[in-house]
Amino acid sequence: MFETTRFESERLLTASGVIGVSLAAFGGMMTLIAPGVIGDVDIAALLDQFPAAMVEGMGLGHMATIEGFIAIELYEYVWLLGLGAYIAYTAAGSIAGDIETGRMDTLLAAPISRPRLLIETYLALLTPIIIVNAVVFAGVAVASRVAGAPLPLADLAAVHVLSVPYLLACGAVGMLASVAAPRRRIAEGVAAGTIIGTFLFETLVLNTDLEWLGGIAPMRYYDPLTILTAGEFDLAGAAILLAAAVVLLAGSARLFAEGDIQ
Amino acid sequence: MPPIETDDLTKYYGEVRGVEDLSFTVEEGEVFGFLGPNGAGKTTTIRTLMGFMSPTAGTATVLDADIRDAAALRAVRANVGYLPSEPSFDENVTGRRLLDYHGSLRGDVRSDEMLELFDPPLDRNVREYSRGNKQMLAIVMAFMHDPEVLIMDEPTSGLDPLKQEELLEFIRREQARGKTFFFSSHILSEVRKVCDRVAIIRDGHLVELEDVDSLLDRSGKIVRARLGGTVDPSNLSLSGVHDVEVSGDGTEEGTAEGSTEDATTVSFTYTGAYEPLLRELLDYEILDLSIEEAPLEDVFMRFYGTDPAERVEAVENGAAGKGEAEEADV
Repeated sequence: MFETTRFESERLLTASGVIGVSLAAFGGMMTLIAPGVIGDVDIAALLDQFPAAMVEGMGLGHMATIEGFIAIELYEYVWLLGLGAYIAYTAAGSIAGDIETGRMDTLLAAPISRPRLLIETYLALLTPIIIVNAVVFAGVAVASRVAGAPLPLADLAAVHVLSVPYLLACGAVGMLASVAAPRRRIAEGVAAGTIIGTFLFETLVLNTDLEWLGGIAPMRYYDPLTILTAGEFDLAGAAILLAAAVVLLAGSARLFAEGDIQ
Repeated sequence: MPPIETDDLTKYYGEVRGVEDLSFTVEEGEVFGFLGPNGAGKTTTIRTLMGFMSPTAGTATVLDADIRDAAALRAVRANVGYLPSEPSFDENVTGRRLLDYHGSLRGDVRSDEMLELFDPPLDRNVREYSRGNKQMLAIVMAFMHDPEVLIMDEPTSGLDPLKQEELLEFIRREQARGKTFFFSSHILSEVRKVCDRVAIIRDGHLVELEDVDSLLDRSGKIVRARLGGTVDPSNLSLSGVHDVEVSGDGTEEGTAEGSTEDATTVSFTYTGAYEPLLRELLDYEILDLSIEEAPLEDVFMRFYGTDPAERVEAVENGAAGKGEAEEADV
């Protein structure tokens, strides 16, 4: 049971550690400088220079608080976009990469079904998701204590816990690309592109008549800025993300089971 | 039920034909050679049998499982060993970790025993493996769960000549234990060494299916004789003599022996009994005589048309291509 998940997890371990430590260092640094920046810079005056739509759309008004500053500097972009795209990219490279190298032939010669192989490979994504979350949570929590501006731990923990469904949905997007695209590079590009593209699209349609269309973007259902600044948790959004992951995964498994491995 | 049976198996890649209307049966305990040049459809057949691709038409059974039935095929895979034509593994893990992993997927009852024969450097990362080491690792994986049926795509490719011999020897021993082998090759010498029967495939079609022995019988013997005096080919009127070639006086041997006397070297294919042949030859002074089985290459060539380029390729692949990592077929 779960031999493939274990094997694939081991392969992702080093990258997970490196990304976790890098992001924790970045997040920690941002947390440490946050009180200084907020105290020294007249953020209200600065924001007047930007278009009002941009300030509102990107929630820049929150920059003046520690929570808002960290949310925007770390979670809103690095986390949502960077980590989301990385998980999607990694997932996309998995099946497509194994088919491309011919490794899939060796694997499928074993008595394991293709859907099972796909699900187990997918579950291995929990390794980077959990490691990076744990390390960055610890880094930011400690840094905010050191900086003398401790963040509410419950809110910070919620940002990380609720990012798990979001990242799992990104991974499911990647798995679908992995079995649908003809080549590994294409799968990876499509998966990472989908995360970045839907993010831009959602920002673009915000506060327009087409705002509802932004509902296809996974970022619509996970908002670290609101969690940190208002302490509001979107549990329904998390449920939607998990449901979407299940649907995408079921579609991927079916596609993978039926197609030829070439 | 035979371990492998195909019934008009057909696979098209869109408009491109992979194989068409293949029907053959691999009997229990036999070594079945599947012979053809690169691109003939060998790998297509094997990968369809393994269930990696669905047939366009027709079907096949492996240990009674219909290859169109993924669940049935998965169940019997525990009893099937597979050696791909170009084994590929994760590069960043050690061979040992890979063996553990694959063993956990399919079971491992004899990897230790296999590793005594085929010994890739298990503690090194696969990235550092040579082609031969990868092949050995794949061989260990194909046999580690002690399957009843082995499906092997160009099993000796990438191995050094010594290991090639060991593998063929091992296949013979496994056959004696009752295992069934289906293996593709374009190397005739190895096919004749281990196979009971061969199917010859060309352009996706089965063109011949026969015992190796009768294939060789039918192709006769190659007789080379260096005879004193001059020989008129038309005098060799014995029935069963074909393709007579006469070359002046045997220059090469003549020079070596320092002899300048008149001699003629004749060579021909002969499909009759020994006695009349020897009687015929005794009319001459026999300076040298050799009678050999016709190389399977010659037999093989008959099925590959007369296009000179194609013949050259067949000869290169068959006779000279041994041990080379050849390109995988479509």
